[in-house]
Amino acid sequence: MNRPMESRNQEMLVTYTAGELDVETASAFEGHLAGCPACRSVAAEQSAVWNALNAWEAPAISPDFNRRVYRRIENEARFSWWERLTRALRPMPLRQALPLAAAAGLLLMAGLLLRHPNNITPAQPRAETVRAETVRAEQVESTLDDLELLRQFTPASSAENGHSDAM
Amino acid sequence: MGVAAAALDYDAELMLRVKDGDGASFGMLLEKHRAAVIHFVYRLVQEQPVAEELAQEVFLRVYRSRSSYEPTAKFTTWLFRIATHLALNWLRDEKHERGQERLDDGSPDLPARQVLDRRPSAEQDLMHRAKLDEIRQAVAALPEKQRAAVLMHKYEEMDYSQIAKVLGCSASATKSLLFRAYTTLRAGLAHLGNI
Repeated sequence: MNRPMESRNQEMLVTYTAGELDVETASAFEGHLAGCPACRSVAAEQSAVWNALNAWEAPAISPDFNRRVYRRIENEARFSWWERLTRALRPMPLRQALPLAAAAGLLLMAGLLLRHPNNITPAQPRAETVRAETVRAEQVESTLDDLELLRQFTPASSAENGHSDAM
Repeated sequence: MGVAAAALDYDAELMLRVKDGDGASFGMLLEKHRAAVIHFVYRLVQEQPVAEELAQEVFLRVYRSRSSYEPTAKFTTWLFRIATHLALNWLRDEKHERGQERLDDGSPDLPARQVLDRRPSAEQDLMHRAKLDEIRQAVAALPEKQRAAVLMHKYEEMDYSQIAKVLGCSASATKSLLFRAYTTLRAGLAHLGNI
């Protein structure tokens, strides 16, 4: 039946087919259906749709779904900007911190010199300045990576040195 | 909905505990709603691995937003709004790449299955699969919002006003979406009868 129905009837019909009408309203609507072949036909079709959709089951959920959610949460926390920044700036012995700070400073200076050869080229328009600031953020991030690498490397090296000293 | 109203929504209470740093409450929300979210997204995108990836992203976003969470709406409204947003975005991205290709993939598989499946009930099984393919295609052919509305109405048993809040439209617009969707589905699926 393709004849347009009134919105109220459509709502009633959909709710009726879904079994969501209270007994009294359902009974009244069935009274209407009994005398209205057009609505009866649509109700039958809507029931068929409802049954068809009932048959569509979703597949089982992977057993490790929760674990994967938690892993993503942990990964995000581990690699967040602030986490990395605070890890890099975590207090460390002066003997280790000084060479790392010097290395970071050198890297930053080298990066800035390479990106800002102001003494060679004339001043750039504003758009360029915006781009340069983006590059600086990347440089800081890259420096943090380097710091992290150096930090991981330093204890191993110390241990290695200690080991060779012992030998 | 203020804090008083949130007291009626246990999920919102749990989320407020998550906001206060209670990880166990997040676990409870995940356990309680993961099936609904995965199944809803699955029926929207119709690919289980993608549905699970997107559902993970939904819960990741819930967790990520914990500090700014305010119970201004029912928790499930917020949850399904995130899920719908992610799934519809994924569909839009995929649409450009694959178009209707995926929809057409189902039918050519059937003869192959017919040859391979030699169980006594193979014919019935095939007919059932063909009907399910038809249902999936009919739902997939609906416009995005109509599809989301039907899935929330049929499988999540949401009322019109909640569906409207999830989709960000008025209740009357939502009813109109649903009725148009059901009219289309009646035209495409009524012949299936009881499957």
